[in-house]
Formats: sequence, C-alpha cells, structure tokens
Amino acid sequence: MFVRTDDKITSSQAVVFLTNTVLGAGILTMPRGITQAMKTPDSWLTILVGGMVVMLVILLMVKLGQQFPGKTVFQYSAIIAGRIPGGLLSLLLIGYFISVAGFEIRSLAEVTLFFLLEGTPMWAIVIPFIWAGAYLVSGGINSIARVYQIVFPITIFVLLLSFAVSFRLFDIDNLRPVLGSGLPPVMKGLKSSILVYAGCEVVLTLVAFMQYPQQAVKAMLGGIAIPFGLYLLTVVFVVGGLSIDSVMTSAWPTIDLIRSFEVTGFFVERLEFPLMVVWLMQMFCNFCSFFFQSSLGLSQVFKLPFPAVLLGMVPVIYLAAMVPKSLEDVFGLGDEIGKMSLVLFMLIPVMLSLVWLVRKKGRIAHG
Amino acid sequence: MVSRIRAALLCLCLTLPLSGCWSSKEIENLAVYAGLALDTGQPAPVEKDLEAQGAEYVKQNKVMATVQIIPIKAMGSKDKDQKAAQHPYLNVSGSGDSILEIFRQFSIRLDRPIIGHHLKVIVISSELLKRQTMDQLMDFLLRDNDIRPSTMVFLSHGQAREALESSQPNDVPAFHIRDMRLNQGRTSKVLEPVTLSRIDALSHADKSFVLQNIVTGGGELAFSGAGIIKGASGHWIGTLGQEDTECLAWLAKSGKSGVIKAYDEDNEPLTYEIKSVRSKVRSAVDGDRISFRVSLSFEGRIIETWSKRRMPTSDTHAEKLAAIIEERVSAMMQTLLHKLQSDYKTDVAGFGQKLSIQHPSAWKKAKDDWDDVFSRSKIDLDCDVTITDFGSFVEK
Repeated sequence: MFVRTDDKITSSQAVVFLTNTVLGAGILTMPRGITQAMKTPDSWLTILVGGMVVMLVILLMVKLGQQFPGKTVFQYSAIIAGRIPGGLLSLLLIGYFISVAGFEIRSLAEVTLFFLLEGTPMWAIVIPFIWAGAYLVSGGINSIARVYQIVFPITIFVLLLSFAVSFRLFDIDNLRPVLGSGLPPVMKGLKSSILVYAGCEVVLTLVAFMQYPQQAVKAMLGGIAIPFGLYLLTVVFVVGGLSIDSVMTSAWPTIDLIRSFEVTGFFVERLEFPLMVVWLMQMFCNFCSFFFQSSLGLSQVFKLPFPAVLLGMVPVIYLAAMVPKSLEDVFGLGDEIGKMSLVLFMLIPVMLSLVWLVRKKGRIAHG
Repeated sequence: MVSRIRAALLCLCLTLPLSGCWSSKEIENLAVYAGLALDTGQPAPVEKDLEAQGAEYVKQNKVMATVQIIPIKAMGSKDKDQKAAQHPYLNVSGSGDSILEIFRQFSIRLDRPIIGHHLKVIVISSELLKRQTMDQLMDFLLRDNDIRPSTMVFLSHGQAREALESSQPNDVPAFHIRDMRLNQGRTSKVLEPVTLSRIDALSHADKSFVLQNIVTGGGELAFSGAGIIKGASGHWIGTLGQEDTECLAWLAKSGKSGVIKAYDEDNEPLTYEIKSVRSKVRSAVDGDRISFRVSLSFEGRIIETWSKRRMPTSDTHAEKLAAIIEERVSAMMQTLLHKLQSDYKTDVAGFGQKLSIQHPSAWKKAKDDWDDVFSRSKIDLDCDVTITDFGSFVEK
C-alpha cells in the first residue's frame, strides 16, 4: 500500500480539517450566546456579518503563511519578529490551543454526563478520549485528516437530518420582525458571532502542510464556508423552532430543539441521541486538532521530538479540561476563549504582517 | 518483538469496552412513567393510611403529584390477577411541596426507581394553578434532564389525577390523551398540544396562553375548551368554551377543520363542513390607538341539512346559505373576542405578536402592559364563507 512519507495533506483534506476544527461544541450553545447578547431574533444577520469578517481574517492568515512555504507560524514568527519575541508569540498561541483543547473535551464530557451517561465519573469519559486523541495525533496530520474525512459526512448528515425533521416546529414568526430594533443589536451580537469561529487560527499552521499551497486561499475559504453555512442554518432553525425566549434560558438550545419533538414511527423516535453521539465524534475531532497544534507548536519552538511532547501533553490537557469547577465556569471559559482569539488575531497575523511588510520594504529599498 | 508486545497490550485494552456502559440500567428494573398529574395539596388516600402509622416528613402539602407508571411485568405475561389485566397502568400519588421530593418519596414505596424519559403528558388542575404559578410548577420539569421538552401539558377542570384514570380495559390514559391530537383533522376543538418547551418560551416572555382543558366523568375524559393562563401573573384565570376554542384555533391559524352548524329560517339544522380556513390579522397604529382588522375566510361544503324545502345546488342558493353560516360564525367570533377583551382582558390569540411584527416600535411601547392595551384596542371582524359544493348531491 502507498504510504506517504512527507506528511502533507491534499486540498480537500485541508478543507475538512479546517471545518472540523471550527465546528465543535459551539453549535450546541451558539444560539443562546448570540441571542442573549442581542435580545432580538436577528441572530442570523449577525452570523452573516460575522462570517464575512472571519473570511477576511482567514484571507490575511493564508497570505501570510504563503510567504513562508512549508513553515508553520511557530517557525516563521521567529523569522519575522526575532527569536525571543517570536517564541513568546508562539507560546501564547500554544497556551490558547491548550485551553481550547481542554474546553472542547470538557464540553464533550458535560453533554455526555447530562444527557447520556448520568452517573459515570467525569474522568472515565475524559481520559479515554484524551488517550484515543493522543493515539490519533501521534500518526501526524495525514492520519488526522483521514479520520476527519470519515467523520465529517456522518456528523453533517445527522445534523442536517435532525434539522430537517425539526422543521415541524419551525414558525417563521419566531424570526420576525427583521431588524425590529434596527442595527444596534446586530452589532452587539457581532462579538459573540465572531467567537464561534474561534479555532480558525489553525490556518496559520495548516497552510504549511498543504501539498499545493497555491490552492490555500480557495481551500481555507471553503473550509470556513461550511461552518458558516451550518451556523446560519442552526440559528435559523433553533430560533425559528424555539423562539428567542426559550433559546435564552436553555443551556444547550440546539439539543433542546431536537428534544422538543418526537417522531413517532421513525426508525429513531428521538433524534437527540444520534445527534449527540455523532456530535461527540465531532467534538473529538475538534479536540484532536488543538491537541495536534499545541504539541506541534511546543516541539517546533523548543526543537523537541514530537512524540515526547505529545505524551507530555496528555496530563496537561487533562488538567486543562478539569479546571472549570461548574458548568457555568465552562461557559465562562468558552467566552474567554473567544476573547483570547480576538487578542491573538490582533497580535499574530496583523502584527506579523505589518512587521513583515515593513522589513520587506526596507530590504527592497536597501537591496 | 516490541511491536508484538504493543499489539498485545492494545488488544488487552479492547476488553475494556466489553463491559458495556458504565451507568447502564436495565429497563426491567425501572418504573417508567408516562403521565403526571398535579393537584392541589392534600394527602392522597393511601398516604393518609401511611401517615396514620407515622410515615411522615416535614412538608406543607402545597401540591399532590400523581405519576402513571406503565408496568412492564403486567404487559407481556398473562396475569391471573384480574385487576392487573384490566389496568395496564399503575397510578401512584403523593403530596408535598417539591415535585422532585415527592418523586423521591415514591422510592420508599415502589419496588423500582421511577424514570421520566418517557413522560408524555402532564395534566394540571385549574384549581392548583389558581394558587401556584405556572413557573413554580414547571421549574423542576424544565430543569430535569430525563423529562423531554416535548412533553405535552394540559389542564383539567376537576382533579387532574382523575384524568389519568380510565374505565376502559387496556387503555392507558396518558397515551389516550397524547393520541387525542390525531383528531385535529376532524375538529379544531382539539388544540395543538402545548409542549414544555413552548411553555418555557411563553412564560419567560410573560405572554398569556391557553392550554387544552380536560373534563372527566364516568371513567372517560373529554377535551372541552381551553383554560387561560395569564402571562403577567402565571395563574389560571378562566376557561373558554368549546366554540370559543375552535374560533381561537381558526383565528390563530392553528386549526383548519371542524363544522359550523346554524339554523335556517325554519329553525332546522344546517351544517357546514370546513375544508380550509384562511385568517389574516392586520394591525394599524394611529398615535397611541392600536386597532386590528381580522379577516377570516372559510371554504367548505354544506354537508347536512334537515330542511324540508327544496335544496337547489345553484350558486344563488349557495350564497343564501353562506349568509346564514357567515352570520353564525361571526357571532361565534364576536363572543370569543368579547370574552378575551372584556371578560378576561387577555390576549391569547397572538394579536401582540402580529403587532410586534407589523409595528415593532408601537409594540415596544405597549408590550409591558399589553393585555391592558389589547383589551382597549378596536378589533374589526370580517368573515367570509364560501360554499364550494353540496356533497355528492345535485338538485335543480
């Protein structure tokens, strides 16, 4: 059998990789976060605007990555900003990836414990997932991407099926009036709607692994367009099915939507169970992405062997997952992660690009 | 060698999932309840006997909860016990102040733990809703992770626990009530059931709404009208009759079926079967004055008449009969609107939502005391009845 030795991914694998990294626990809680900030049914507009902003951000990150073929952000930040400042920026990014990995695995455990396996201890869910993740990540980006290619169609199919069946609850009046309070609420919700794209920072390393980096713009925009479309669909169906008042008070609004009806005579009467089970796989993919990114970062910054870093990360991720004491803490952490992602965006792609432009100009002038 | 040891170790790990789910519970060891009735607090008959022997704990008896357990044991095997064969369900009542605490008290009386995954129907007595608010009663039911938000909620005129009793053998009242919705195609007196998730949204928004009302008698039950829950207080304030209820369903677009019966000039019954209903509510704002224009148009056929006169199936005659039906349906709608605006001063027909969509700024000003504003608004009614045919009957 043909085994790749260069550990590169094709463009379609890159699309799925980005999609599965962004699309995680957010889809279960996102309608609440945005609606709470806005208090109007216009959340779908906010998602539209937020998505456009994120696409611009991704464009910038890809362009930056394309300047350094085959190099990840952990390597080229040192080239652009110097060894120490670049290393510090990389460490920030690594810390961010670790906390997102912990957050994803914790959300996974919370959903499982509340709806599926009441009575199972938290560690009995978290630890097997971390080990399974470590096994997958040890295979490198190619094996991760191939697992994603298997998981992605299944989860999307079940999600779309659940939404299609939930159409019986859909009431267009729940989404009206459009812009009843004008534009200010849309702007207020914008922050929350950009937060749901947290994780798109992987673009900074992903471009380096692409077999054909020249297709990176298309692939990365495609990879973000899928979560963008699904987020739009989610808010429309969840708010349209439950109304904003119910969404605002629900801990997991998307699951509550699916729990709000029974399909008598269907092969599964209650779609929340298939949805939750496949969504666990999705959150697992999510987690693996960040696990991979943070381990990769550490090994590249400190020039350590990747397998050793990976094993060392296992307890760190476990601790990161167990830090929040309550569900409220978990949601709080989710918000913090979103804010961190904004700060990191200002620090890394924007600042690095500026410095890079200045240095390039300088070199041309002197050269 | 190393890789072989590693493979063997990995294989050993595979034995771990063989043990199955960590927290699995066999369904035979659980008492699944399909119905829940909430009544005003008073010790249930069995409880009185138990309490007489000192089976007590600290409580104020604010509510009595009855769960309808579907015994799996009795279902499959043919029991010699006649009683068990008659009733495929078991009702257990207990009273106290907290619904969860009452549920846990059941655990010192039953042989299996009760589980709410398959709760289908909740019946609340109107009397209880006079004393407690909807929010208080629904709090636990919405928080719990077993009970699904798809559970349907009903009101009962008398005691709610009686709605969960049936004299028919092999009839589980909870399933009976759940399946009643199948009749919606025949009459709009059967409302679309209100689920827990709807109640959550409605009471969070302080909106008033109606719940189907159940009356019982002779071991049978009937859906009769609907009880009004006032959004501002969360209490039950009154009941709409059967005809008001179907008018409400037609108006709010949730029902499109039923019959309209009127009396012709000889006072003989004339029955019109509805094929479709179209309803349109337009709001108008003039300064602080809010008014609505309701247009209802019915399409259907004359399906029964006791008239001794000739019944030509001509268009001119159809128009004459349509006028009789129109007058009747207008009167029914007027009665409903009068009840909502003057008797109960409550908007349960979605006028507020129409206003919020059509005139968002006016709604914002009025929404805090909407029921009050609604009761003072002018509502114009416009009914239109079309007769498409006279059934399989032609006469010149």
